[in-house]
Amino acid sequence: MSITSTPEIPERFRVAKPTLMLDRFMTHFIKGGGFAIIAAVFLIFVFIGIQVIPLFRGASVDEEAVYDIPSDDIAVFGVDEYGELPFFVTSAGELFFLDTRPEDQPGHRGWFGMDIGLPEAANISVMEYNERGNELLIGTEDGQFKVAKIVYGVTYPEEGGRLVTSEVQGTPLFPIGRPGYAVSHLAYGDASASDTGTRKLVAAVQQVDGRAELHAATLSQSRTLFGLGPLKEDASYDLTHLLGGEPQAVLVNWEANSIVVGNADGSVCYIPFVNGAFDVRQRFRPFEDLPDPRIASMHFVLGDVSIVFTGVNGDMRVWSLYRDAASDMRLWGQTKKFPALAGGGATYYSPSLRNKAFLTGRGDFASLRYMTTEVIRWEKILPFSIKDAIIGPRYDRMAFLSTDHKLHTYRMEDKHPVAGWKTYFGKIQYEGQAAPSYEWQSTGGRDDFEKKLSLVPLIIGTLKGTVYALIFAVPIALLGAIYTSQFLLPSFKRFVKPTMEIMASLPSVVLGFLAALWLAPIVSNAVPSVVFAVTGMTLSSFFMGWAWGRLPNRYRLAIKPGYEFLLVIPVVLSFTWLGWELGPVIERTFFVVTNPDTGLQTADFRLWFPEFTGLPFEQRNAFVVGFVMGFAVIPIIFTISEDALTNVPDAFRSGSLALGASRWQTTMRVVVPTASAGIFSALMIGLGRAVGETMIVVMATGNVPVTEFNPFTGMRTLSANIAVELPEAPYLGTLYRTLFLSALLLFLMTFMVNTIAEILRQKLRERYRAVE
Amino acid sequence: MFASSQKDRPPGEMFVWFTSMGLAVGLLMIVGLLGFIVWNGVAVFWPKPVAEIRLKDGAPLFRGSASVMGVITKQQPIDVRNLTPEQLAHPDPLVRMEKQLFVGNRNTYGASYVYFNAGDIDSVQYPEGVLNIERMEWGNALVYPIALELKDGTRIEASDPAFPGRFSEIMVEVNKRRAAITKIEKGRIGKINHRMRNLQLDERYLERNKTLSPAQQADLEETRERIRQLQAAYEPLAAEALKMRERQNDHHLLFRLATGEERRQAMGDFVHHFWPNQMNTLHKIGQFLHHAKEFLVAYPREANTEGGIFPSLFGTVVMTLLMSLAVTPFGVLAAIYLREYAKQGPFVRAVRIAVNNLAGVPSIVFGIFGLGFFVYFMGGNIDRIFFPRNVELGVPTFGTGGVLWASLTLALMTVPVVIVSTEEALAAVSRGVRQGALACGASKWQTIQTLVLPASAPGILTGLILAMARGAGEVAPLILVGVVALAPSLPVDSIFPFIHLERKFMHLGFHIYDLGFQSPDSEAAMPMVFATTLVLILLVVVLNLGAILIRNHLKRKYMASAF
Repeated sequence: MSITSTPEIPERFRVAKPTLMLDRFMTHFIKGGGFAIIAAVFLIFVFIGIQVIPLFRGASVDEEAVYDIPSDDIAVFGVDEYGELPFFVTSAGELFFLDTRPEDQPGHRGWFGMDIGLPEAANISVMEYNERGNELLIGTEDGQFKVAKIVYGVTYPEEGGRLVTSEVQGTPLFPIGRPGYAVSHLAYGDASASDTGTRKLVAAVQQVDGRAELHAATLSQSRTLFGLGPLKEDASYDLTHLLGGEPQAVLVNWEANSIVVGNADGSVCYIPFVNGAFDVRQRFRPFEDLPDPRIASMHFVLGDVSIVFTGVNGDMRVWSLYRDAASDMRLWGQTKKFPALAGGGATYYSPSLRNKAFLTGRGDFASLRYMTTEVIRWEKILPFSIKDAIIGPRYDRMAFLSTDHKLHTYRMEDKHPVAGWKTYFGKIQYEGQAAPSYEWQSTGGRDDFEKKLSLVPLIIGTLKGTVYALIFAVPIALLGAIYTSQFLLPSFKRFVKPTMEIMASLPSVVLGFLAALWLAPIVSNAVPSVVFAVTGMTLSSFFMGWAWGRLPNRYRLAIKPGYEFLLVIPVVLSFTWLGWELGPVIERTFFVVTNPDTGLQTADFRLWFPEFTGLPFEQRNAFVVGFVMGFAVIPIIFTISEDALTNVPDAFRSGSLALGASRWQTTMRVVVPTASAGIFSALMIGLGRAVGETMIVVMATGNVPVTEFNPFTGMRTLSANIAVELPEAPYLGTLYRTLFLSALLLFLMTFMVNTIAEILRQKLRERYRAVE
Repeated sequence: MFASSQKDRPPGEMFVWFTSMGLAVGLLMIVGLLGFIVWNGVAVFWPKPVAEIRLKDGAPLFRGSASVMGVITKQQPIDVRNLTPEQLAHPDPLVRMEKQLFVGNRNTYGASYVYFNAGDIDSVQYPEGVLNIERMEWGNALVYPIALELKDGTRIEASDPAFPGRFSEIMVEVNKRRAAITKIEKGRIGKINHRMRNLQLDERYLERNKTLSPAQQADLEETRERIRQLQAAYEPLAAEALKMRERQNDHHLLFRLATGEERRQAMGDFVHHFWPNQMNTLHKIGQFLHHAKEFLVAYPREANTEGGIFPSLFGTVVMTLLMSLAVTPFGVLAAIYLREYAKQGPFVRAVRIAVNNLAGVPSIVFGIFGLGFFVYFMGGNIDRIFFPRNVELGVPTFGTGGVLWASLTLALMTVPVVIVSTEEALAAVSRGVRQGALACGASKWQTIQTLVLPASAPGILTGLILAMARGAGEVAPLILVGVVALAPSLPVDSIFPFIHLERKFMHLGFHIYDLGFQSPDSEAAMPMVFATTLVLILLVVVLNLGAILIRNHLKRKYMASAF
């Protein structure tokens, strides 16, 4: 009885060893391989995700080294690009360098001095440091000033490695203002550094018999065949009468065309240099609303169109220049606000030379902040009291000078300071703008150009394209699907469905090309015609159905059920043609624009639309894109919803018809509600296709980022943006990663939409199965 | 209950008609679009008569002449915004129309297409003696021939009955010689150049070192020696090609333009000619076939706006084939795993839904992945390991877009299509077949190998064809991973190792994008774009129809053979 009792399996039933081994191998191979492939496909999105993560990290800052400074009287210090040869200037005007390389390096120079080019007799009254030009501004007790530029160079010596060298270039001492009186504040701008001219502008405050005077001078330097000629003073100006207060801080921008003075009472005075003369354009108080409105510090951010103010109680606000609409002049306005510093105003400040970040703080507190996004990139209470600090020119290190005469260097890694939630999804007021906005503009002409990376216009553009595509595609696809599944003769269906499926396979580059070069010019020439053609098309079928239904049965029954569309084709065509021909007539009647100069009347929708609505009209617009994207979306919605409708169990239909409902009643009350989940899922999948469509949009929209839904302008979608910008984006840069972020968004959007659709379809299938 | 006056009329018939409109419009759209593309694409190759237009007295002259010759390409209303008040008020609507003329002779006229106000045209004639010449440069010339000037000094007047025959003979000779020159330059000189480039990189690499070890010194000497040898081999070939090039200028054609200007051009500049106004239908068909063939097999000229699309067609095919090579084993393996080996449960169901949805993820997302992963990450590392010399010299090999990365990217994009259709095909093989095989003692793999896979092969093929059709028509990801408008060499050629996976390639879809959007004169490029579009559409539609046919055939077969 028992099978196990047969001990011997006959030889002929035994499986050959190789067969078993192959089977075992294939089992492992397929299991391992199959799983690996599926995992690999999904790793795509892990990979894209990993590319995005660094965008949302703050700066990481690590202590690097500490050096003793053999002087206790350092007034100013700075570093070179590599952080190898920082310089120090004592308050007496002596310049020293510190070789920070390991001491066993060949040619190690240790701590060494260099002549700054100041006469022995000069008594320094003030010293300022300009990061952007690596310049020292020196004012003397007897009313003279000097600019000393520390120029770093790099050589690659024979024995290998890199050697940072330095030299001092500078002007001689120039007299400024009233001779013999000490300079108390000094500022300097050199337009040649910003490539906007050659003018140099100096502003100096002097204390003359207990009263502050503001003096300015313009300098110029001729360029000769042998390099730069001598610097000479062009003109000098006494601006004391413009002051209106006791000056406390003076700034000159690097285009050398304006002076900003901060007064002791907390007011700020903006004095631009226009047509050879200085005049006050604006007076403002950045902390007007506070009990103590006095200013503790004011400094430019890179680009010199924004000033970071700190109040005496530590409040921090940023004011930027913007074009005022009322006066059409550039004025200052408050744009940003940062968390206050504890204990008072900033005691040190250093702007980044690469972006809009700045390093500031007081006491032992240091904070790296990003102006544009109002984000604190990094902050820390350091174990020493900070006297002064600086950001390295490459934005890759910081150096702090402590009150106990030590230099602390920190390595900093902050590759994407611009990035962040606020940049991508929030409204930001960029420099020069009167109000916060969503803006995408990734490249610009100037060095100090700010990347504007808001994804909002791209998302809106994507939605705009999708909406217009669906407005057009959904009715046609659904009506077609209902007709094909419920009313069409099955023998027609055999060729109708493949034909519609062929439409899905049309390469989108072909559709894009036709949209942009063929359809867009036609449509923009004849918008009224297109509108009337579409209306004619829709009405004609209604009219046809109504009229045919009213005919005597003799005629009415001549068209058998299932053949209607054959008769509708010529009717649709003729009404479309009629609508097309009617368009120009309507255009001549309603869309007439009168030229105000000549009084000439032109009938043209393209001119009428902007005149009437104030919105622009472009040839490559959402209207055209929507129509052409219909070619991509219609077949998808059509096929899936047709399947859903066809699969409704016949019992439903037969029951309804047997109870006396007409075929239309059966369809609308029984079949469509039953298949609604499937139809919805078809819409979702169509939506997913429209969201991700790339080539049609790249070619037919003009690719201008917009934040409105005007049908007669183009847009820029997430996908088109990737195709347009990625080839030019530097590897692993902020833009590169931002484009990965938009790809991730696109992926999540479509994947979610498709998953919902798929789950709905599965549910529907189960429901049908239950009925059958 | 049946109070309606039309009680024999079922309610809602009107709406049935309305829904039929949806289908009608959908069908009209696809048929109209395909028809439009076919019509325009085919029309490009059809030889059209050349008209000579005389302008009315007082109308603006064309290059100082009242007579212009060209192919009338279209007539359209003038943009309202460009009309003068006089034109607007004119009773004759013809005044507000314009005719577009393909005048050719771009080297003389500056533009190939010129617009004339229809109201300015006095008369249109089709003179017999017009010659349409396709040239290597500057597009077509529409001319009245005057005479042939042969090398030996003889001159054959156009009125001489021997002229057309002699002209054709010289054209054949010139074209043969051009083919020979191309063979030398692309073939033998190309090979030398390829090796030379390599050696020159070696040389530059060695020269970067300030101090050379004796071995490196010897290396450098040897490299230089080999460069010298190649140079020596190159020179006689170059001289031969040059000599043949000079012979292309042996004979000249003297001709007159409709505007009266006379020109003389070497016969070697001409590619093809026909007499557009002396052709009967048979001639035209012959000419049409010739143009179509040339379009498919010739290389592009004049920044892709003239000549053929052979490299694009070839690139598309190579890329698609490479893609299928990658996608088939992976897709089939994954599907067999999912259907036959994985434990069916909620997890596998979720994976199945996710795989299905991957097909709906935008292609550009795969493109960005291809650029980040394949090109920069994989390619960059391959370069660092295998081509340190090229990395050092800043010449990436695999670290830049190429046909391999493009095909892998598209393979990733289409793998869900193959997985889904393979799974469907596997599921369609009935349980009885499997159980029968297992009962007969076959192992699981034997069952799959000998019964299940063969039975589902057509289904797998359908999936593969659908994947190929999708891959062939896709452009967006390719822009990021290696397609270019003009590639100097094909990805497959006669130089070892024959298949150059790292090379950039041309693609029909990108060709359309580039011609339509990047070329300075998109009007002049339009015929080429339409013809290319036709080829691409044919390729994709034929692939799709094939898949649909196989699928329909299968459905019937399965229905018939269900256990």
